[in-house]
Amino acid sequence: MLTYRRSLNCARSFGKFVVCSWKELVSVVFQVTANGVGLLDPGSETNSVEQGAKIDVTFWLAQELYLREAASINLPMHFNQKTRKEVQADPECVDLRSRCPYFYELGYKIAPMVADKELGTFISLTFNGRYKEILSKSHGAAFAAVPKFLPRLTKEETNLYEAARNSMIAFKEWRLGVSRLEGASVLGRKRKPIIEREEEGPMLKKLYNGENVPISIFTGELLQDPYAIS
Amino acid sequence: MAGQSDPHVSLFSPAEIEFFAEDEMVDIVPNLRVEALNMICGDYGPFTPQIPAKVPLWLAVALKKRGKCAIRPPEWMSVERLTQVLEAERDSSREFQPLPFHYVEITKLLFHFAQDDIPDMYLVKSMVEDIRDVRFHKVELGLETFTNRTQAVKLKNLSAMEANIIRPFSVRALQAFYKHDIPDVASQTAATVNRPSMADRGPRRTLRPR
Repeated sequence: MLTYRRSLNCARSFGKFVVCSWKELVSVVFQVTANGVGLLDPGSETNSVEQGAKIDVTFWLAQELYLREAASINLPMHFNQKTRKEVQADPECVDLRSRCPYFYELGYKIAPMVADKELGTFISLTFNGRYKEILSKSHGAAFAAVPKFLPRLTKEETNLYEAARNSMIAFKEWRLGVSRLEGASVLGRKRKPIIEREEEGPMLKKLYNGENVPISIFTGELLQDPYAIS
Repeated sequence: MAGQSDPHVSLFSPAEIEFFAEDEMVDIVPNLRVEALNMICGDYGPFTPQIPAKVPLWLAVALKKRGKCAIRPPEWMSVERLTQVLEAERDSSREFQPLPFHYVEITKLLFHFAQDDIPDMYLVKSMVEDIRDVRFHKVELGLETFTNRTQAVKLKNLSAMEANIIRPFSVRALQAFYKHDIPDVASQTAATVNRPSMADRGPRRTLRPR
């Protein structure tokens, strides 16, 4: 039985895109027969995967199988000739997100494992071609108009775009506003004697996901763990 | 240094840059007698009416808000100097003119708090805006020249606020370019006999031309 557990410690050294791109599906061809993992192959009758079977697994599993020489990785269809031709024609209009949101990460990792030497160059060229477009749109564009090409960007490109947009927005806000003083978030309302406040019920703080969690009126820290499974 | 997993790559908010800018010294002309101020960072004063004094910008703004002084705008903020700077910025397409490091923040604070102390305030304001636009346009032109081979970027005479605006974007862009360069190295080591055309990529450009 091929068991595999991922250590979460190594996730700390990766960026968030690297971690998320591990979950992408790639198709592999098994070079050996694997017993006990029939779960992976929806078409198998026995609880095993036959040699030569072509199934889709997540990328982290595919990489491990490749390293142990148990499977060979097929190039995902996002990187095939059709996409390459489209990118050569007009890199900015190719909708990479619908193909693969972690296009660059996946390509960068698969490149050493797949029998395709052009992949790395292709990835670089795609990024080069789209970079100028991201640059020009992100810094100066009007904020109300969401550019049409935004849904076409992969997660990494969106990250880049958002970084520039946010810093530009922060700068414009600063230019218009003056006062730097903000009320402390703990002081939600006028101060009342503590006894009255306790009668009204605990002071609630709204979390970013919409939940209300009680907080201490003295220190402002959460009195209830928002992540605890109740 | 902000880690890669930090969604807010920008290290400083504009308000924090403004905070740093407030340490710059400006000239004030007090109109009331103010006794010496003993602060942690130093002693300022005593201030005698109509005798100019040099104080940090934060103190000047505080005194101005209380109506105790008039702020004298710095020499570089006159219409003549700004016109010269604007002409020079428009003429050179790649270089930035030397300006005070915090000119954006200082002008913003003075426009807000010391409007009556600046002669031709609207003209000065519009000129500073124009200078800012021209410089930022040059910054964007320079950012377009990033490629795989960009190893370092040098921007001479860039001001604090401009650097802060492009910091998150350029850092992430350079990281992305650096990362996507690696697969070529991997494919190169795999095919030892058939070397791809890496040698004729062009000379490595270590610095962006100023």
